[in-house]
Amino acid sequence: MGIVAEHLGIAFGSPPTRVLTDINLSIADGEFVSLTGRSGAGKSTLMYILSSLDDPTEGKVSIDGKDIAKMTSKELHWFRNTKLGFVFQFHYLIAELTVIENVLVPTFKLHQQKGKRARAEDLLVKFGLTEKTHRFPRQLSGGEMQRVALARALIMQPQYLFADEPTGALDTTNGQTVMNILTDCNVNEKTTVLIVTHDPDFAKMTKRRIVMADGRLVEDVFN
Amino acid sequence: MIFIAMRYLLERKRQTLLTLLGVFFGTVAYVAVSGFFVGLQGFMVQQLVNNAAEVHIEARKDYLTEHVLDVPFFGEKFLHTFWSAPPAGVEGFQEVQSPAKWYKRLNADPRVAAFVPQLTAPALFVLGINSVGTTITGCDARKQVKVTTIADYMIDGKFTDIAVGGNRIVLGDELMKRLGAAMNQNVMASIGVNPTPSSFKVIGRYYTGNRGMDLQAYAAIDDIQRTNLTPNQVNEIGVRLKDYKDSDAMARTWAMSSPERVESWGDQNANILSIFAIQDALRFSMIMTVLIVAGFGIYNILNMTVSQKRQDIAILRALGYDAFDVIMLFFSQGLTVGIVGGILGLICGSILCRYLQSIPFMVATPANPQGHLHISLSASILFQAAFMSLFAASIASILPARAASKLTPIEIIRLGG
Repeated sequence: MGIVAEHLGIAFGSPPTRVLTDINLSIADGEFVSLTGRSGAGKSTLMYILSSLDDPTEGKVSIDGKDIAKMTSKELHWFRNTKLGFVFQFHYLIAELTVIENVLVPTFKLHQQKGKRARAEDLLVKFGLTEKTHRFPRQLSGGEMQRVALARALIMQPQYLFADEPTGALDTTNGQTVMNILTDCNVNEKTTVLIVTHDPDFAKMTKRRIVMADGRLVEDVFN
Repeated sequence: MIFIAMRYLLERKRQTLLTLLGVFFGTVAYVAVSGFFVGLQGFMVQQLVNNAAEVHIEARKDYLTEHVLDVPFFGEKFLHTFWSAPPAGVEGFQEVQSPAKWYKRLNADPRVAAFVPQLTAPALFVLGINSVGTTITGCDARKQVKVTTIADYMIDGKFTDIAVGGNRIVLGDELMKRLGAAMNQNVMASIGVNPTPSSFKVIGRYYTGNRGMDLQAYAAIDDIQRTNLTPNQVNEIGVRLKDYKDSDAMARTWAMSSPERVESWGDQNANILSIFAIQDALRFSMIMTVLIVAGFGIYNILNMTVSQKRQDIAILRALGYDAFDVIMLFFSQGLTVGIVGGILGLICGSILCRYLQSIPFMVATPANPQGHLHISLSASILFQAAFMSLFAASIASILPARAASKLTPIEIIRLGG
């Protein structure tokens, strides 16, 4: 069913500053979409609204045919935990937990840590982090931390993965690795991926590229 | 959540230890200070309750008022009588008016454990050139030992031996010393209004550590009634109850339905009980201060943790954890510190109390031969200490935890964590 946004708009502050205006967008299941544009274009804000982290002041967002605004708090948290995955520019790993424990954090919510342990180990193998399994985040490089954050986002096998500038704080090599993982995830696990990026080269690696300017969609092309 | 909370605590050892110490010392202080005060109060109450009867039924004493003698002096002749020096003082009765009725009533009351009729009279003891004025209590020794703990304080002889009669007497240690008397020696005593001294044989000595009590004497009631020239007279009935806490209510009830003066041990020691109330107020204020400081320790450290862990809160909320989960993340840390600090505090507080109990600090008596401090280690103190440490920890952690739960992931992410 995918993600559908209708007449989305949002304004912040007083007097209100309009950040998004009349966004209409549909992302089908299995798509790999990049949102690009200059700073302040509204890319991250749009992604946060599409991923249920923020509420629009106008319009509505449906995921899998369900209006997010009409979900109860319990439904929304269950939905985020089981259907959505998040990666941010900063890894947001929990400093007191080891790599494997960080990957398993989403599973604690529904007490699935035992059942998901094997998948966590597989993901760490896949992302080249086997030897770091029991290390703490402070013992990892920036690229390694972002790969752990990716593994954490994928542990629950989400239907949708949202990544806000996941390569923003990485060098080219590590950025490329992260993009390869996202591509692999989209191709092999059929996860719908939406990333926000400034990098045109990384945007070209996605199947669909949406360009934003001044809070509006100005270009929507399939690569 | 509990797993993450425990990892937070274990990875931040110094902060955790500091918070734990606050609760620990608060709990130790509660147990030790309460143990000391409650033990002291218990000891004093025990002394008051056990050394004397719990309810005293005494010969009536009425205070004279200004017009009480108008009619006896002038009949109904005058509407108003004015005295240049109005009547004042106490109109005392020499004896309990109808002791037999009291015995019947006390025997029938299931709340009464024992009672002893007594005749207390002033006495002047003389031995050689030494003379001491004091009071002597005539009693049935077998009943007296059921009503008071006098037998526990005997250091020479046996209290119940006075029951045999024949002018046998038990003296307090202080009285013995002042008279210079020895065991089995005869002393002369003028009892009450009888000017003729009688000879009494000293067959026992007691020592309570209370000089006033140790200056008194006991003999069989028949001997005192005879030497006081008041046969069959009783001026006090001492009553022991099955539960001393009933004494106030029972004394009030009995006083309403009899001409005698009936007082509970609490009425007779109201000043001491009011000191206990002040002690309790001081104790609670002091302990509350310690626990508030401990609570502030938890509050400050958790508040700091919440602001340091904003990114963690953001990612947890984004990953599907709700406000309640975030509350539990921080609340469980405070509660764990409260539980662990409380348990350690209870253990160390109990050990400290045991140690304090071993210190010889007070005057040694036959009932407390080592003169050790009386420290209470009752379950209620331990329960209160556990409750207070948990309560302080809960209140101190719920506030930062609630503040953390109100943070939304988007606020934190927008502000860059």
